[in-house]
Amino acid sequence: MNTADVIEHQVREVSGVQERCVPASSSMLGTRFSAKWFLPQLLVNVVANKIFALSVIIGVGIWLLVIPVFTGALGANPVEKLLHQTGEIAIWTLGAVLSLSPLRVLFPRSRLVNALNRHRRAIGVSACVYGLMHFGFHLLYEGDAQAIARSFSKPFIWLGLAGLSILVTLAATSNNFSIRKLGGIKWKRLHRLAYAAAALLIYHQAIAGKGHWYIARWLLLSLLVLQTARVTMQLVTKRTRTSQP
Amino acid sequence: MDKQKPRTNCAHDEWNLPDSGITPEACYLHRREFLRVFGLGLAASALLPPGIRAEPAALNDSLNASYKLDGVKLTPEDLITSYNNFYEWGLSKDQPKDLANHGWKTRPWSVEIGGSCANARKLDVDELIKLLGPIERRNYRHRCVEAWSMVIPWDGFPLAKLVDVAQPKPEAKYVRFTSFLDPANCPGQRSNDFAWPYTEGLTIEEARNQLAFIAVGLYGKPLRNQNGAPLRLVVPWKYGFKSAKSLVKIEFVAEQPRTLWNQLAPNEYGFYANVNPNVDHPRWSQKSERVIGAGFFSGKQPTLMFNGYEKQVAHLYAGMDLKKNF
Repeated sequence: MNTADVIEHQVREVSGVQERCVPASSSMLGTRFSAKWFLPQLLVNVVANKIFALSVIIGVGIWLLVIPVFTGALGANPVEKLLHQTGEIAIWTLGAVLSLSPLRVLFPRSRLVNALNRHRRAIGVSACVYGLMHFGFHLLYEGDAQAIARSFSKPFIWLGLAGLSILVTLAATSNNFSIRKLGGIKWKRLHRLAYAAAALLIYHQAIAGKGHWYIARWLLLSLLVLQTARVTMQLVTKRTRTSQP
Repeated sequence: MDKQKPRTNCAHDEWNLPDSGITPEACYLHRREFLRVFGLGLAASALLPPGIRAEPAALNDSLNASYKLDGVKLTPEDLITSYNNFYEWGLSKDQPKDLANHGWKTRPWSVEIGGSCANARKLDVDELIKLLGPIERRNYRHRCVEAWSMVIPWDGFPLAKLVDVAQPKPEAKYVRFTSFLDPANCPGQRSNDFAWPYTEGLTIEEARNQLAFIAVGLYGKPLRNQNGAPLRLVVPWKYGFKSAKSLVKIEFVAEQPRTLWNQLAPNEYGFYANVNPNVDHPRWSQKSERVIGAGFFSGKQPTLMFNGYEKQVAHLYAGMDLKKNF
């Protein structure tokens, strides 16, 4: 896949949503705002909207990080709470963006999945932003240079830092300029590092708890199920295609 | 209790209510339910035999001057009662305050003292308190293995008193502490991730040390459920997880007891678990600690050897490699 292909691929996705919108909306006109067509189409249009996506991404932060500061819901150890909340948001957001590709392969005709796929860049970059905030709260929690330096001696922290460095690299190259500059194949290869980041960060999150790994285990399970289904689906379609004359 | 004392308008401050107005259950009710049930309680208490009225409303304690901790600021009560590692009720520290107060009862509560001792018996917690009283107050530093700390005014009695009453036999080298098992009421105990019930242990010398304490109250009031009601262990020179909560059994044993955290992650949580700034946890340094209530930008303060109780306990570990026996 070359540069033009990658960009065109993205453009096609976007217009794909709009193209598919057209017959649906015309049928909507034909049936005079029948609820059967109108509601799902409205949902797809809302989900496909950039402002909607940004509001959800920022809204999560406001709901879980900003409002609790004012309501006192952060509890007795507020910086620790913010540290944990930002980490959890970051890892779930990373999980969300990694589930988009498998979903698209599994449900290629779903308008909702295609609408969600329009936001992969925004969701991916926000995982990085929440990750950076998590790192910032770690520095604040440790409080002084010596304590911070001591924390950097632990493999637990290295895992997090390595994962975050990948996210920063990917976020920095998440723009059309970088795709053009690197070339489609190289860019795609680079961005496959997202899976390495996920592995590092899920492990980081798994060992963070004292002897339990609830979040990591649910996240890991869902991502593995999705990826297995995706690979199976791809193998099956490949075989049926090649077996056809 | 002193009836002249002005009644506070704080619903969970059951301390200042007249005896007659209190049912044992009322002490442990959720704030919102308290007012509703309070009326019923007034009516019902007249019908109750006096024995069922649980405990005196105030802990008749006095500060033990040796444990005053001059110049150290006590952690505010609302922080001590809202930030609890009590996995029986949930993994997050704000859950126990909520989940342990949906009608979970810590009265009546029987405690078994057993194992290799001459005076094994099972008795009610209030009998035990009467037996081992008077209750005294001690301000103790509390250092969690997670590198945060508090200063807590506990009310209770020295564990050594209990050991003396039990009269352990010479073969008893350790004491095993067991918490309650009640998966029907405790959401956390329905998870198989932990080997419930919670168990902890001390050497018999540690149990006889003057610092080892059985707490039945906090800030002059009976322990809240989330702090380990009705009675818990407090060993201030060790990480907080050693201080097992809501005890039902205290046994004298010959072998070092297996403890919940040590079984789960022996490389992270040793049997001794003495506060030691020179031995790191695998994931974080133990050199410093975050003081609960100190504020957003407070940073950390240095952690003291044996949590500042070196003078009282260092001799217990003379000649021992503390890096190995962490």
